[in-house]
Amino acid sequence: MSLPIRPATEADLAAIMRIENECFGTDAWPEATMLTELLSHHTHYFVAHDGDELLAYAGVAVVAGSGQADINTIAVAPKARRQGFGEALLQHAIDTAGGLGASEMFLDVRADNEAARALYEKFGFEQLKIRKGYYQPDNVDAVVMRRPIKARVAEPLVLGIESTCDETGIGIVRGTTLLANVISSSMELHARFGGVVPEVAARAHLEALQPAIQQALAEAKVSLQELDAIAVANGPGLAGALMVGTGAAKSLAVALEKPIYAVNHLVGHVGADVLERGQVESPTVALLVSGGHTSLLLVKDLLDDVVLLGETVDDAAGEAFDKVARVLSLKYPGGPEIDRLAAEGDPNAIRFPRGLSQPKDMAEHRYDFSFSGLKTAVARHVEQARGRGENVNLADVAAGFREAVVDVLLTKAVAACQEHNVPRLLLGGGVVANARLREVAKARCEAAGIDLRIPDFKLCTDNGAMIAALGAQLVMAGRAPSNLDFATSSTLPVTTVQS
Amino acid sequence: MNRHRLVIDTSGGTSVAVFVDGECVAEINQTDTMKHAETIGVAIQQVLADAKITPKEIGSVVVGRGPAPFTGLRIGIAAATAFALGRGVPLFGVVSLDAVAMAERASESSEELLVTTDARRGEVYWALYAAGAMPPRAVRGPSVGKQAAVLEELEAAGLHYRGASAPVTAAWLGKVFEAQLADGVESREVTPLYLREADAAAPAAGTQFGKPVN
Repeated sequence: MSLPIRPATEADLAAIMRIENECFGTDAWPEATMLTELLSHHTHYFVAHDGDELLAYAGVAVVAGSGQADINTIAVAPKARRQGFGEALLQHAIDTAGGLGASEMFLDVRADNEAARALYEKFGFEQLKIRKGYYQPDNVDAVVMRRPIKARVAEPLVLGIESTCDETGIGIVRGTTLLANVISSSMELHARFGGVVPEVAARAHLEALQPAIQQALAEAKVSLQELDAIAVANGPGLAGALMVGTGAAKSLAVALEKPIYAVNHLVGHVGADVLERGQVESPTVALLVSGGHTSLLLVKDLLDDVVLLGETVDDAAGEAFDKVARVLSLKYPGGPEIDRLAAEGDPNAIRFPRGLSQPKDMAEHRYDFSFSGLKTAVARHVEQARGRGENVNLADVAAGFREAVVDVLLTKAVAACQEHNVPRLLLGGGVVANARLREVAKARCEAAGIDLRIPDFKLCTDNGAMIAALGAQLVMAGRAPSNLDFATSSTLPVTTVQS
Repeated sequence: MNRHRLVIDTSGGTSVAVFVDGECVAEINQTDTMKHAETIGVAIQQVLADAKITPKEIGSVVVGRGPAPFTGLRIGIAAATAFALGRGVPLFGVVSLDAVAMAERASESSEELLVTTDARRGEVYWALYAAGAMPPRAVRGPSVGKQAAVLEELEAAGLHYRGASAPVTAAWLGKVFEAQLADGVESREVTPLYLREADAAAPAAGTQFGKPVN
């Protein structure tokens, strides 16, 4: 069947509302609701018409990356019924959703609307559940129906470049499939400084870039010419480091005549999950902990709705590990060293303070973190004990410190899940390598009924694959590429998923 | 080598040029020294459009190696490296100060030519170029230091020279490269000439930066 169907525009609103009121009477949406629906990022509305006359319309919602689509509405003007408009629109909705990567479709239908139910059954929808008395004031049940659909997206081949801190990461993905994830770290060069030196990191990026790209291409067994797009992290991160990656990415995009997507590094950490699960189940809370970041994100939609719930007000958690390692005369990076030493200690022997956890702090900093006081408390504890001539049990100090960090991270992360009614927690960032963090996360999430996601470590630490994965999601959602003159931003907010 | 060449230098502002058969046919010079990362992509795209060629037609890339302030310099080298990699074409490096020597006609000079550019922190990048040499050839430097100290050093050595300071442009850098190519002294070395340690406070021992100039 081939009826004239086109995307709906704001100009169709009046005609749509006429049909809406004709078809649904007391259940009809107000005009303002309909306008919001038409203009939303997630929805795709289309109309069927005969010449100038609009006769039917339908709307489908596809939350990018979720794999799920919902039929929000289908309406056919009474005089145009039994001419195949409903079927044509439904088929169009299924095709659209499949084209955007959805693998299943849901809809609600009034239990007493037998014609509609018959149509949906004919299209393979099956009853999933009943919502009792959903339609008021008529007190009619809603039948929730579902059918699988075949995602038809040509999976884009995307190369991702990550250079926000001390890791040069080049990743290559096809759709949601990981093909290569090459990470070249300059960590050893920073060891003698006890922390990342921005200029050292930037110099190392320039040296690592070409070999890393070549290695990634070899591992993925693809050529640059085959790429569909380039993705690059343009923040947040170290300014000089970011500029190496973005400068190279822009030039590569021009040389290859391919589109470029500038993406947010922190959202990239969340996007890494699509490489293991094919999607990011939304909503989810994400706890990102590294040497540069300690952030708690509420992700309702990977591409459109990411909110920063809280972050560190001073040191990042990874930085605190490095600084405490120095106090304890351990090597850089401090995380693994403290982890090793802490394994022999008693985590409850010394109770170090939990930053921003007092009632007075919680009002303003409910989901924020602070580790600078903790670091000072550890240093003072060691100094004072030594001053008293006591033999300091460094294993207990390490264990107590680690426990304080892990406790505050997970207390706030689990609280964020519970208070936002989100049954999922995703961990990301290099500190996820910490054994105790993973252990406590598992235990607390299990106790709270929260589904915990910890991607493979190579996808948790800074890497180009997550940048490529997020770029691929943007491509698959039909987003326009970034303008070539995008800037880098060391403080890019998580609300800016694409620049 | 293919007739079309892309030349990039970001030691000052963002400067790009296209050469065809040894002649500069298009150039873009943006003087903002803080916006290389923003402008580099558009500048390359625009200079190719101005030259009426597609990226596929570029047969080689030449980049200025500095010496220059780190952050901007790196962006040009990163971009040149990526472009050459993307097109699978050879990449060459030229010392950026050579472009100033070329522009200031060191080859026609009977005196040596002292080229200086702003190194910030009250210092200059400098090199002393041989009189009458083509392509330009540094006899001292490139190096970095206080201008007064540089002048003192040259005076102490009893050298007579003319001073020159001008912006580095890709057009002049490209001309240096053409002259080098004609003489068979072109170089594939594209490591940046930072001339300063990555961190002033870092102990010098064990550092692998601030390599001497080749």
